[in-house]
Amino acid sequence: MIKEELVNSNWRVRKGHIIRVKRMTPCEKLFEIELESGRALDYEPGQFVQVSVFGAGEAPISLCSSPTKRGSFELCVRAAGKLTNAMHALEAGDELGIRGPFGKGFPVKVLAGNDLIFVAGGLGIAPLRSLINYVIDNRREFGKVDILLGCRNPKEMLFADDLEFWQKRVDVNFSCTVDTGGPDWEGNIGLITSIIPGITINPERTFAVVVGPPVMYKFVISELLKKKIAERHIILSLERHMKCGMGKCGHCQIDSLDNYYCCQDGPVFSYDRIKNVAKM
Amino acid sequence: MATHTRYYTLRKDDLNSFIVKLSRDHKVVAPVSKGYGNFAFAEVTSSNDIVLKYIPTILPPKKYFFPQRETILTFSTGRGENAEAILEHEDTVIFGVHTCDLNGIQCLNIVFSERPRDYNYLGRKDKITIIGLECSEYCDKDASCNLMNSNFPNGGYDLFFTDLGDAFMVHVNTQAGEDLVENANLFKPASPEQMAALYSLRDAKRALFKNEVAVDRKDIPAIFDKSENSAVWQKAGEKCVGCGNCTNVCPTCYCFDIADTMNLDLKSGRRVRSWDSCQVEPFARVAGGENFRSGQAERLRHRYYRKFRYSLGKYYRFFCTGCGRCTRACMAGIRLKETLAELVKEAL
Amino acid sequence: MTKPKIAFFDLSCCEGCQLQLANMGELLLDVLELVDVVEFREVMSEKWEGNFDVALVEGSVTDDHSEERLKAIRGRSKVLVAFGACAATGGVNGMKNSFDLEEIGKYVYGADHKSFPTRKTRPLHQVVKVDYTINNCPAYIPELVEVLKHILKGLPYAVPDYPVCVECKFNENVCMYERGAACMGPVTRAGCGSQCINNNNICYGCRGMVSNPRENAARDIMAKYNITPELIAKKMEMYNKCREEEKNVKKEHHH
Repeated sequence: MIKEELVNSNWRVRKGHIIRVKRMTPCEKLFEIELESGRALDYEPGQFVQVSVFGAGEAPISLCSSPTKRGSFELCVRAAGKLTNAMHALEAGDELGIRGPFGKGFPVKVLAGNDLIFVAGGLGIAPLRSLINYVIDNRREFGKVDILLGCRNPKEMLFADDLEFWQKRVDVNFSCTVDTGGPDWEGNIGLITSIIPGITINPERTFAVVVGPPVMYKFVISELLKKKIAERHIILSLERHMKCGMGKCGHCQIDSLDNYYCCQDGPVFSYDRIKNVAKM
Repeated sequence: MATHTRYYTLRKDDLNSFIVKLSRDHKVVAPVSKGYGNFAFAEVTSSNDIVLKYIPTILPPKKYFFPQRETILTFSTGRGENAEAILEHEDTVIFGVHTCDLNGIQCLNIVFSERPRDYNYLGRKDKITIIGLECSEYCDKDASCNLMNSNFPNGGYDLFFTDLGDAFMVHVNTQAGEDLVENANLFKPASPEQMAALYSLRDAKRALFKNEVAVDRKDIPAIFDKSENSAVWQKAGEKCVGCGNCTNVCPTCYCFDIADTMNLDLKSGRRVRSWDSCQVEPFARVAGGENFRSGQAERLRHRYYRKFRYSLGKYYRFFCTGCGRCTRACMAGIRLKETLAELVKEAL
Repeated sequence: MTKPKIAFFDLSCCEGCQLQLANMGELLLDVLELVDVVEFREVMSEKWEGNFDVALVEGSVTDDHSEERLKAIRGRSKVLVAFGACAATGGVNGMKNSFDLEEIGKYVYGADHKSFPTRKTRPLHQVVKVDYTINNCPAYIPELVEVLKHILKGLPYAVPDYPVCVECKFNENVCMYERGAACMGPVTRAGCGSQCINNNNICYGCRGMVSNPRENAARDIMAKYNITPELIAKKMEMYNKCREEEKNVKKEHHH
């Protein structure tokens, strides 16, 4: 048996340096990472990277920063599995491996010139933040912007700094709801679907971008359709276990006659393309 | 100008000399008996252990291209960690590959050549020489190779052997094949009589092999278009034990998992890719706990769609070779031909 | 860096899993480079009064005394490992749970049975929080080493949740069902490299079942081999009787 280095292998990882770690909730941390090469990661909002902690393995993580942010990129990581728990043990100065970016991101060129409604549930705010901040950094290119955010309780609220920043801006409408509030909570209480009807929408020129847990999609989409938003104007990001990122390993294949691989054809899809998928 | 002699013959008595010679310069693997009517590709150094008349081996020859487990990366951990992508390969001649398995290798070649390319597969493929072997009759009742158009040679080999009784007819398909023939110094040009024998064997095959399920191959994708909610999946799903045998033995299944293993120094380790199966429960589960294919019927349906429907759109070919392995390996007795026949009946 | 202090204990068991350590050969020397064994009744007489970084406990909990001992060990250990089938799943000790406790006591100890009060067999996790599990009867050395590496690296070890058939096919064994023998491979968790089938034996299910075994499908398969439902039930229960109590176990134990 001959063993040789495979210089053109797609399994090679690029070295990333953690330059900052911020705990956001008991379960989630924000990592700011710089590639060792000093080169920027060339990505679009909505794409993901494969992160390696050698020994613990590799897992797909959504990019949560906007590519308009130069030099470094950010990942919001919930400690849920072997890799993400190992990541949580890392601190600034530590190294990890990066492959990617992978996948089709949000269609920013298509969205330009339109009104946007962002709907985020739970950890869905992470990939959506990459697009929201991209839109804010290119604010002139877009029409009215509404951000609707839902999570279980105020303690689980991610990206507090961004939320405050969005709230203060006059060029975005920000609303937020929780399933159960606390004594200090002054915002909305209830499901995210409850705040959609109150928004004024011009269906001709509105795109809704929705990211959240699978259980949320059905109900949010039904509310958006009631607002006469076209199916192809509803943009979603699906969750699957993308193990290879190359459309090969089979784990992220979506059950549909269109035979989508989430890692290459997605994770971002317009609703008209996936509406027959039983489990979104 | 070189003479373009594409057919040679090898006397059966000379097969042993050929294998012995080959095995001096290469690892030679061929079908050998595992007992209980089972066969496997394994290393040989003479023709003594080779079984020329065999039903498809337990595992198809894909194991030489895409091993059950392979190291794709080695690494060291800690500050200044380093990783190196690697390929482990071996110069190998596979002797005695049936046409169904040649078809299977062609399917995998397409998958792993598609960008982003899999250089582990492709690097290994470059080191493998393939010698095919024709089936003159059905291996057993579980095959459906006529339906899947893989009972006749259709490329995918360097040399192709057809048993003509006292000699093998040998078709040369590549320069690498021609080189093996020349170096062996055992092959003779085929005579007109021997060519006639080959053609009559092929004619006899055409008379013998009939579609094993009463359906026209080109109608299969349309049948699957209508069958997503068929009761067939529920029925077979209840019988299915979810062992993953059908995918592991399939010549065109290529799903995989990736995991790291540390060495005992706890400082270095390797990243290993291993075969995975869409039939086992954790396959489509994500870290948050959601399982996107939580029922056995869904998982079983998924496998069939990957063979008869999805691959048509992505790769323009069926990913079933009709080898029958999934049926033979199924303890629960879920038979591919029966499942297809039921779907056909329902769709009519 | 000081080496982690590691200790071995046994409850109801044959101590065969601890013996597997001795069977590791040269690998054992590599392992001993990494850890400091402070208590191991089978090979040394020393006892350790302090706390343990890692305690490997073999055997099941079968009486009140062993429950107390286990709880005390848990209290002294940072990491507790269920070591081997009896500790991980109850193993063969679980067969006791098929009988009335009084009767089985009489059967084993005769007239003196009242001097040996017994309880239903439980694997460790049904009594205390378990951090790592090493299945198999006896423990399978490559997996034992793999789990140790995970412990020392602070990584969680997930026992494969797919059947032994997967590894058995990797090894290209002739299926036991093709040889006419009813094998527990289809419902048993992999991780053993299908070593029994590699060595021409059937799988007895010693690693416990996958999370959601396809039990009815497995019973149907066995029935085709003219095996009586009673024998199928016994095959299923030989190593897996304690599964019945899983539903009664609280998700989280506290130290």
